[in-house]
Amino acid sequence: MMFLSLKHLLTRKKQSVLILLGIIIGTSAYVAISGMMLGFQTKLMDQLVNNDAHIRISAREELLTSESLDSFPEAEHVFWSLPPSGRKDSAKIQYPLGWFEKLNKDHDVIAFVPQVNINVIFNRASVTVAGRMIGADPLKQERVSNIQQYMISGAFKDIGTSGSRIILGKALMQSLGARQSETILITSGKGPSMPFKIVGVFDTGSKNIDENTVFTSLGDAQKLRGSPSEITDIAVKIEQPDLAEIKSAEWKTSSHEKIMSWQESSASILSVFKTQDIVRNSMTISIIIVAGFGIYNILSILVTQKKRDIAILRSMGFTPNDIVSLFFNQGLILGILGGVIGLGLGFIICFLMGQIEIVPGRMGSSTGRMIISYDLIIYVKAIIIALLSSLFSSIFPARAAGSLDPMDIIRSGGQ
Amino acid sequence: MIRAQGLIKTFEGQQEAVLKGVDLSLNDGDFISLMGRSGSGKSTLLYLLSTLDRNFEGSVLYDGVSIKEMGVQEIHRLRNEQIGFVFQFHYLLSELSAIENILLPARKANLLDKKLSFARDLLEQVGLSDKADRLPHHLSGGEQQRIAIARALIMQPKYLFADEPTGNLDSKNGEIIFDLFSQFNKEYKTTIIYVTHDQQFGMKAHRRILINDGIIDKIS
Repeated sequence: MMFLSLKHLLTRKKQSVLILLGIIIGTSAYVAISGMMLGFQTKLMDQLVNNDAHIRISAREELLTSESLDSFPEAEHVFWSLPPSGRKDSAKIQYPLGWFEKLNKDHDVIAFVPQVNINVIFNRASVTVAGRMIGADPLKQERVSNIQQYMISGAFKDIGTSGSRIILGKALMQSLGARQSETILITSGKGPSMPFKIVGVFDTGSKNIDENTVFTSLGDAQKLRGSPSEITDIAVKIEQPDLAEIKSAEWKTSSHEKIMSWQESSASILSVFKTQDIVRNSMTISIIIVAGFGIYNILSILVTQKKRDIAILRSMGFTPNDIVSLFFNQGLILGILGGVIGLGLGFIICFLMGQIEIVPGRMGSSTGRMIISYDLIIYVKAIIIALLSSLFSSIFPARAAGSLDPMDIIRSGGQ
Repeated sequence: MIRAQGLIKTFEGQQEAVLKGVDLSLNDGDFISLMGRSGSGKSTLLYLLSTLDRNFEGSVLYDGVSIKEMGVQEIHRLRNEQIGFVFQFHYLLSELSAIENILLPARKANLLDKKLSFARDLLEQVGLSDKADRLPHHLSGGEQQRIAIARALIMQPKYLFADEPTGNLDSKNGEIIFDLFSQFNKEYKTTIIYVTHDQQFGMKAHRRILINDGIIDKIS
């Protein structure tokens, strides 16, 4: 019946082209929008997953209350006129060695790095900027995050294990008006300011990090904080980042510390991704549904117009299934053709979007071009959507045609 | 051979039967006309005999096998291989050329290549060999009916049923159609049964069956 189906399509060129356009637009829109959004999401996801720990173990922040000091023997003689309040000073990981042993034994853990995270104030001449200092062993830190790939001058390992050296974000560098090799003053608010030499600059593309973060060695951070041998965080990298949430839940059951997976700390961004996916899918499915209704309407009208043909074909020995194929094939041909052209057009649009120059490091790649995803799954999904919509919208009129009784058509004069 | 026994046909919603017990035998090579007034039941009888309508009381036997007992595939094979049908209004498929229309039954039987030269022979016999590639709307009514006859004969069927094949044509074209029927009946031994209002055309058949009010009134 393919011959007759093709004849029908070619005879009604205008209608066929219109349906085809609907499918092409729907499919190419899906490919282009998905390519752009997934490219953007992949970039951000890569930053979320690899710029920081998959799981972060932090010192629990405790608030002081009147019961906080009950463990002391003298506490029963104390009557508070103003009970203690506020955050307990000197938050630290209580049993770091126990954690190191546990993490070393865990086969899912690829690497971990003990850190000291402190809020600091940077001073250069009259400029003062608040920010965050992360103290870590550079070699261990490089195994946990991909900070080295964002270095625009110097190397991450230059912070060494001591010597008061820092690397800092490009935006922070600009705020301070500092230059490489220059020394700036940093204070944690407790104790005097300490001089730190700038040995490198990074640009992750994430404003949050680049504007206020510096890295230094663990020892120097501990010295600035005034608490040698204490750590505030352990950043952990695991084998399968997707399972970080499960792993962190498992550790939470046997720990007093605050444990957070990258999914939990990026929940708001991940929910934006979900919203984007819903918008992308609903928009594309709407276009495809419109095209599907086009096929349904045109085939339904065609079945009514071709009742005489159906009767004559049945009188020649064509079976009801042949009649179903006659109309179903038309939807199939339009679906395949429209889908394939749509994929091609979508690819071209993606390629052209990939040539658009944008600010490097933001939505774009390091080359300054927009990041587009060419993931095979996008193309597979697009062709499946195109085919399913065509097949669903053609099966009903086709089945209606197959169930027509030739005698009813003949007796009604083909009406 | 086709044998019809006790055919009774009542349409839904009607109390009176259109056919009220028809018995009839059609021998191979017969050339029969069915005549009668409008509403007498002659077209209904033709559709019952040609297997297009299998919803009736009584039986229609093709070489001893009842069409009611045939399965879907069997009945469609019978229609494709042994039966040709010509309607009053030609019913050519408008998207197909003359020769493509003629070859439709052969396409169904996957005999396209084998039947191509026969299709050209038929086109020549119906006098339209120069119009093989014309679409139906570029053919006159008489020419379209001749193409429809060629299509009904492409599988060299045992039986050719025609429902008022000249009803929509002028007398000259009617003559041409009758001559073709006569020629194919002689040449291919095709059993031809046609319904007609036209007395002159009806009288040319070898056997004439007059139907009156749902029963066979006279066979001559």
